[in-house]
Amino acid sequence: MGSAVRSALIRLCEFLLTALLVSFLTFSAFAIIPGDTARVMLGPEASEEQVEALREELGLNVPLAERYVDWLGNAFRGDFGKSLSFGSPVGDLIASRLPVTLGMSLIALVFVVAVSFPMAAICSRNPGSIKDKSLSTAGHILFAIPPFALSMVLILFFSKVLHIFTAGRYTAPSDNFGAYVVSLLLPSLCIALPKIAMTFKFLRASMIEFSQGDFVRTAKSHGLSDLSILIKHIIPNSAVSSITVISLVLSDIMGGSLIVEQVFNLPGLGRLLLAAISRRDFPLLSGIVFYLAMMTVILYFLADVISAVIDPRIRDGRAS
Amino acid sequence: MTSYNASRRYLYTGGIMLAVVIGFFILGLFWTPYGINQTDASSKLLAPCAEHIFGTDNLGRDVFSRCLAAARYTLLVSFAGVFFALAIGTVAGLIAGYNGGIVDKVVMIFSNGIMCFPGILLALVAVAVFGPSLGNVIWALGLVFAPTFARVYRTSTMELLGRDYILQAKVMGVHPVRIMLVHILPNLMSQVLPAVIIGLANMTLFESGMSYLGLGVQPPAASYGKMLADAQSYMVAAPWLIIFPTLMLVFYILGLYFISEWVRTSVKGGSK
Repeated sequence: MGSAVRSALIRLCEFLLTALLVSFLTFSAFAIIPGDTARVMLGPEASEEQVEALREELGLNVPLAERYVDWLGNAFRGDFGKSLSFGSPVGDLIASRLPVTLGMSLIALVFVVAVSFPMAAICSRNPGSIKDKSLSTAGHILFAIPPFALSMVLILFFSKVLHIFTAGRYTAPSDNFGAYVVSLLLPSLCIALPKIAMTFKFLRASMIEFSQGDFVRTAKSHGLSDLSILIKHIIPNSAVSSITVISLVLSDIMGGSLIVEQVFNLPGLGRLLLAAISRRDFPLLSGIVFYLAMMTVILYFLADVISAVIDPRIRDGRAS
Repeated sequence: MTSYNASRRYLYTGGIMLAVVIGFFILGLFWTPYGINQTDASSKLLAPCAEHIFGTDNLGRDVFSRCLAAARYTLLVSFAGVFFALAIGTVAGLIAGYNGGIVDKVVMIFSNGIMCFPGILLALVAVAVFGPSLGNVIWALGLVFAPTFARVYRTSTMELLGRDYILQAKVMGVHPVRIMLVHILPNLMSQVLPAVIIGLANMTLFESGMSYLGLGVQPPAASYGKMLADAQSYMVAAPWLIIFPTLMLVFYILGLYFISEWVRTSVKGGSK
């Protein structure tokens, strides 16, 4: 049990260090802006008094290390400061955009899991068969289309050929939850398709590897059906690697939604991020970046913890 | 089995796709039928025809000319970005893998930290802070991709460390830098080459996304991502504005994937 505690502690330390590093990277990205930050944000027309006032407001006159500690302390309490262009707290702005981005990410994840697992199971039964080859090629092609181009092609198809979709229509979840989910289905599909290809490719390889294991041969000789071998022996064994790949995919999905929101004109975090970039609203920008990166750090940590819970080899630090 | 043929098929399909893109690139360097920003009010949104084989956009610009000219930026950003990422990744990965211990931990935590910024987020921040110039896009994307290469180098270096010839070199007192450069680096080609090819493809996915958002390759230069962004309002009336730039991107990215698949299967001896 001692080794399990020790490896859990190491895991926790690594998580905290990564979180600290991510916060430092975010902070320093905005601290190393060439020239005078306040002047860059306000533009050349601003008067010297305005620039001085903003410098005061952002705390730019305080030493860098002190600013970092302040910023970090506030950020962990959920206080990212006030947006300059919207005039409201950054935390509130992020919270108001979350239904779109998180909703899309969750629906996309459901698509990925629901499609890639059965696809991989079908292909791994007969590697090299026609079915396997055509699904693998389809996966390659899906993976090669940039998500925003894929979105446009799908919008064209669903709105012009099938007449069942109107781009840019979004209903808030508080108004009508059903309509909210429906309005996010197509954008989520656009994010999910390339990730389905990625997850499928990975799962297929790992299922093929496990289906060649001795325990599968033994199970077969005991007369178990292919389906029960798959469910009882192959899937549990590939669970750990599946969790890792799903945590990677989920972070990728959040990144992908930044672009896809723009194509579908959805009021999510991605649109807020772009508004912050074009208005040079650095407090808002650093808040969004820190939030998204922190979500990813926590996600990876959770995946790590779940893997350790289900696999004793990882729990005891015997496998890295 | 059929693996030999399958791997050949990857080579031919991928090769043809890449040849199209490289052909466009070379042709575009010397000749375009119209100026890439030459507008023509009398021929707006023309469907593909004899004078404009890819049609024209909302300003009457020739899409074929723009597709020819945009190829150079796709190639430039992907190659320069991967080169930058590879330079950082090689040094960090070799040092981490060779030394292990605390050096390895530090490098890995840094690479994990960078990888925690999902997708193009970090590159967008760099561009927001330093301004959207071509050079900034390249180094920012290079930085985002460096951890991927560092990991490949680290793992493969660690696998090589136990080999007899490395131990022999160590016993003979060969300098660690020489061991890394002369004995380890050349032996990692088979692991690194597929990663480089996939890196080129992924770099293009990222670059086109940034250009689509208006934060990548900047006008007046033509880029496929920006062309698609401009085409979005007209896509129903003029689907060719979407189809041709998308096809160019898909040919390049898919061509690279197929070639990497060919490299992977032929290195393994086509066992899978």
